Amino acid sequence: MRKFLAVVKHEYKKIVLKWTFLIATLLFPLIAAAFAVVPALIFSIKGDATRIIVVDQTGKIAPRIKENLSKETAEAAEKSEDESLENLTASQQEQMKRAAEQLEESFIFVEYNADAKPIEQIKRELNAKITGKELDAYLIVPPDYDAPKANFEFFSRKANDPVAKSTVRNAINGAVRSQRLADANISEDKLKNLSQNVDFSIKKISEEGNEKDSEGTFAAAFIVGLMIYITLLIYGQQIMAAVIEEKETRIAEILFSSAKPFELMMGKLVGVGLAGLTQLAIWIISALALAVVGLANMSAAGMSISLPDITLLTIIYFFIFFLLGFFIYATIYALIGSMVTTVQEGGQFALIPVMVLVVGFYMSFAVIRDPNSSLSFWVSIAPFLAPITMPVRILAETPPFWQIALSIALNGAAIAGLIWLAARVYRVGMLMYGKRATIPEVWKWIRQS
Amino acid sequence: MSFEVRAGRVFGFLGPNGAGKTTTIRMIVGITAPDDGQIELFGERISNETQNRIGYLPEERGLYKKMKIVDQLRYFAALKNVSQTEADKRIDFWLERMNLAEWKKKKTTDLSKGMSQKIQFISTVLHNPDLLILDEPFSGLDPVNVEFMISVVAELKAQGKTIIFSTHLMETAERLCDDIILINKSRKVIGGTLREVKGSFGKNLIALRCVGGETVLEDKNLVAKTTTHSDEMELELAVNADAQDLLKRLIENGAAISKFEEIEPSLNDIFIEKVGSI
Repeated sequence: MRKFLAVVKHEYKKIVLKWTFLIATLLFPLIAAAFAVVPALIFSIKGDATRIIVVDQTGKIAPRIKENLSKETAEAAEKSEDESLENLTASQQEQMKRAAEQLEESFIFVEYNADAKPIEQIKRELNAKITGKELDAYLIVPPDYDAPKANFEFFSRKANDPVAKSTVRNAINGAVRSQRLADANISEDKLKNLSQNVDFSIKKISEEGNEKDSEGTFAAAFIVGLMIYITLLIYGQQIMAAVIEEKETRIAEILFSSAKPFELMMGKLVGVGLAGLTQLAIWIISALALAVVGLANMSAAGMSISLPDITLLTIIYFFIFFLLGFFIYATIYALIGSMVTTVQEGGQFALIPVMVLVVGFYMSFAVIRDPNSSLSFWVSIAPFLAPITMPVRILAETPPFWQIALSIALNGAAIAGLIWLAARVYRVGMLMYGKRATIPEVWKWIRQS
Repeated sequence: MSFEVRAGRVFGFLGPNGAGKTTTIRMIVGITAPDDGQIELFGERISNETQNRIGYLPEERGLYKKMKIVDQLRYFAALKNVSQTEADKRIDFWLERMNLAEWKKKKTTDLSKGMSQKIQFISTVLHNPDLLILDEPFSGLDPVNVEFMISVVAELKAQGKTIIFSTHLMETAERLCDDIILINKSRKVIGGTLREVKGSFGKNLIALRCVGGETVLEDKNLVAKTTTHSDEMELELAVNADAQDLLKRLIENGAAISKFEEIEPSLNDIFIEKVGSI
């Protein structure tokens, strides 16, 4: 036992007292933030204003489209939203404001006289303008705009921009709809009243019957999944590298003459696992502290934001599943490390656990979308996947206790099996120099002992 | 294969490459288990307790690359159940003894190969083991350091440590060992005290330079065969004859002796003859 503790202490200090540990601890929150912010940033970057020509030989639709794409409408939309701002989260407000700002500057309408020219000629002329970079896009309104199969043609130098595409499509649909109503003799005032948007916000009912803000929950669940995924990956690789170092430098021989291989392997797993726990604890405590401080500031500023309700039990579950995952993957990595001869060779084999981890990470999205589907049930009790998916599911919507218990039991059994296997391979593999163990050889070691 | 190592002596464990030396040693230190047979240390079956009393310096050895020397040594000592305060004392003592004190806080990558070898040796003796097993301990050392390490080993022997010394360098073995065993293809070829082994090797040769005493040399009960070289003779003693007897008889017969030397076979000769002949 004393030797086991010596190994634990050694492995723990080896990781925690290194400056890379400090950097990783500080870096993760930045990476997580980047994951959350960068996509939004990319979509919010304003391209140059699009110079656009709307060709409308009916003369009815073009003004409406222009109106829909113009500044005033966007501002009006923003104003109407102001009334309901209180019901929205900060991020939703931001999104809407951003969308409005984008509209403001995005389109410049270029005048073009299309009278009586045939369509072919118009297209030729406008295509030439686009090639000559005088114009970015043009839209051709068909004369039969009201027919069921009327085809609006949009030509653009950057037709793949999804934001521009949906903006234009919305503007056209809005314009045609308004025109149809106008054709049906409905006054403009009435029209505005009728087409007023309703407010729509999603709340989720928790077990206790409380309303919860579902966006916060989704974000928290995603971050939890990411956090477990990344730590399992990093610490698994650490274990493998440490095992290979001891094998490569032949230190294993000295270690094995001092303590039992099983003690050494378990000591390594536990030591590195504790280092991982330390890191997670730092993250969680600082995240909770930030959330509490942030919340206090915001409510002082008159804003009310609901946090996903994270209870002590949730945090305990989180650590339990992290440990389950850690022992599953760390054991696999230790096993691989004791079979191969170099880190490079180990890297190839390590692709297998990495792939399983990636599957678990992607499954957590399915779990976030529908925590009660049968898919969510199966992936959250399945060994290898559950350590990522179950904490996500617990956060999204806590499943019945028996499912959590079943998940813990199944993954615990998987760990016992893996450790049994790894101990047998480790004992022989660590002393085998020069060549990689083949699968039949490994099978022989497992059966012999 | 069966052999005994007597306490307080240096035991040479000799054999060609691939003879099974390392495998045997691994069984003694408890790394691998024997398929059959048994190993006793200090009068008891090998166990975790006996492990703590062994210091093992493997032939293939290394250190953690990016770790401070002192931290590595502390770890190896802790794995042998040495308390940290005790370990620190001994680390300082041994680093001083090996003239490596200023490298205490350095990392392995800063050390030369010879220095690493000495650090590895320190890790072998830190827990003050009763039995030292040194597998090719001097490989990679320059002659000056080999002499230095030999003196350290002799010191440890003087402290009453038992030393198993595995090598295929016969000259070193001959200098250090009290007892030897020679193995080949996992079988014992020859074993015993160095003297016994040499004696039992059979070739009782004597180099002789003298004037007179011819009658003695013709006695078939004493001398089996005489070969004359340029200015001296090589005698092969008869079975059961004794070199001292021969010397006494020669003097009694008035021979003037300028050289009388028992030629012992060197371990190298024995090694080549025994291993080469199989």
